[in-house]
Amino acid sequence: MTNDLKLNKTVSAPKKAEPKKKKRAASLDKRKARAGWWFVMPFIIGFIAVYLPVVFDSIRYSFSHIKIVSGEGFIIENVGWANYNEALFVNPDFVQTLLKGLQQLAFDIPAIILFSLFMAVLLNQKMAGRALFRAIFFIPVILSTGIMESINAQNIVASDVDDIATGTGQDTAQQIVSAIDIERLFAHMRVGQELVEYVVGVINKIYDIVNRAGVQMLIFLAGLQSISPAIYESCQIDGATAWETFWKITFPMISPMILVNSIYTVIDSFTTDSNLVMKFIASEYTSSNGQEISSAMAWMYFMIVIVAVGLIAAVCSAFVFYQKKD
Amino acid sequence: MNAQQTAPKMLKNTKNKIKVEFERTPLKDRLKAKFINMAFITDVVWYIFRLVLLLGISYIVLFPFYSQIAGSFMGRDDFVDVTVMLIPKNFSLDMYKFIVLENDYLKAFGNTLTLSAITSLIQVFVCCLIGYGLAKFKFKGNKYVFLAVVLTMVVPHQTLQLSLFMEFRFFDVFGILKFLSGNATVGDVKWINDILASINIFGEESKNKLIQGIINDGALNLNNSFMPLVVLSLSGLAFKNGLYIFMLRQFFRGVPDELEESAYIDGSGVFRTFLSIILPLSVPMMITVFLFAFSWQWTDDFYTRLFFTTNKTIVMPDIVKIPTSLETNYAGQNLYYSAIRNTCGLMIIAPLVIMYAFLQNFLVQGIERSGLTAD
Repeated sequence: MTNDLKLNKTVSAPKKAEPKKKKRAASLDKRKARAGWWFVMPFIIGFIAVYLPVVFDSIRYSFSHIKIVSGEGFIIENVGWANYNEALFVNPDFVQTLLKGLQQLAFDIPAIILFSLFMAVLLNQKMAGRALFRAIFFIPVILSTGIMESINAQNIVASDVDDIATGTGQDTAQQIVSAIDIERLFAHMRVGQELVEYVVGVINKIYDIVNRAGVQMLIFLAGLQSISPAIYESCQIDGATAWETFWKITFPMISPMILVNSIYTVIDSFTTDSNLVMKFIASEYTSSNGQEISSAMAWMYFMIVIVAVGLIAAVCSAFVFYQKKD
Repeated sequence: MNAQQTAPKMLKNTKNKIKVEFERTPLKDRLKAKFINMAFITDVVWYIFRLVLLLGISYIVLFPFYSQIAGSFMGRDDFVDVTVMLIPKNFSLDMYKFIVLENDYLKAFGNTLTLSAITSLIQVFVCCLIGYGLAKFKFKGNKYVFLAVVLTMVVPHQTLQLSLFMEFRFFDVFGILKFLSGNATVGDVKWINDILASINIFGEESKNKLIQGIINDGALNLNNSFMPLVVLSLSGLAFKNGLYIFMLRQFFRGVPDELEESAYIDGSGVFRTFLSIILPLSVPMMITVFLFAFSWQWTDDFYTRLFFTTNKTIVMPDIVKIPTSLETNYAGQNLYYSAIRNTCGLMIIAPLVIMYAFLQNFLVQGIERSGLTAD
């Protein structure tokens, strides 16, 4: 371990020496600022020595075929756009999975944001058993990740008999609320069929949404905590109702968190293992000779992620309110 | 002066007046005034609504765990019996017994514990360093470093799996090892051997393999050891480290600058200030990050599957399989198998549940004090 670090340091030392060459004694601020480099040094070393090569290799692999030869390392043949071509036009499922996955995400992300905001507001109120509820709500963040997700996925694949013993979320949710009831409820209100379908979908996926909204809830909760109580107090004195206070105070003050959370949710749901496209890419990776193609697919997918994040950041940041600090 | 003197008097008068009025009104009217008004009713309705909602979602969160626990105690026959729902009829501990005995649970537990403890402790410290550096120092390029952190967050790790594997299969920073081993002699190998022996994270066998790797491939094969994850943790690149850095950065931003300034005036250096003033102050946040890092490493099956390709090092995800003694061809096989897998999952997360029970207080505290703001 120390060995690696030593090697790394010798490599990146000349890079760092450049700003230090100025002869005149720097001011305290400048010297302090330089100390900042030392703090972020582990990341910079890792980023330059490990991460960037990995990223570039991955891009390179997506354009090539790889053969491992013992004694000589591995041979990389450049095949140009063949992998991309294969993924887009030869592979029968990729484009379809991609579209389906994107559709699903467009559906999930608003639900997760709204749910986590609502829950954070609830959990921020003073009430009996708040600590207990918070502890319960954050359980999925800690426990329902990685291997638990894949066990759930395996079980869903193994049996489509929905039985209580499988303990999988979707089944449980369906037992709680039947979709027809919701439809009946909405039938008398004059809302479009799309909204009804959306709400029914959300309720049926509530387990999934609760599981994925944990970190967002934490971030919202932290944002809510940072709003000064004095503002609420003055609102109350002026006679604002709770509803008004929420929309005039809480919502604008929390809007930077909404931006952060939207981006986090997009990234998280794009990259989680239970994502449709990710599952497809992972299964492609394990198939024979699929590694390079899966790299190509993953890079195409990544470009879409970047576009989605950019779009959401652009749209959200137009509405974000920043409190000016004096 | 005058007002101050008269104020208590007036207050006393009004208080008396209220008291008299209060005693004159009958109990019925008093109750009416208290309970039958809009404010009270909305309060009650809201209270009930909130409670129902919270209980409902708690149920959604907890029910799968409950049904999994119930399922884990059921005997094989219970999965065919339709009358058995949530309470086992033939109570049996078979699943636990055979998972421990045949799936190498204890071995996996030990390995995962070491791995998670090492990597998460390193991650907490390194992310603290990086977060602090990004939050408190306005050096040139601060923004770019932060952007790089965000970039590591955005790139899906599946995108990098092949090249990550290759990177650590033929581990070599900028071809230094290849250069060294290009004209390697026995003496050089001995020198590398000495270094490896002093580190002693590798077992004896894998150490020999490493040296072979240097001679053969001109690179280290770090796969099937803890090294890939340790290297990634050391540089803040491991699973979700971008998020931890982000969280810690926001936290350190909320720490008042005056604290550090007074420390500097007292003659403490930047690092000493960080270690002896800032770190003790941020214990709840560090525990929060530790909790995330530890449990996400514990349940992680992406990196472990990627880096542990042989079956020699058994980690937690490896125990999820059907023990040979429990294999069956009878009816209800699917249900039974999924119950076994669930039991494996329960046994994997059992230590985390215990840890969470003790540390969950810090989780909320750490978040509350972080004052996350995106300004």
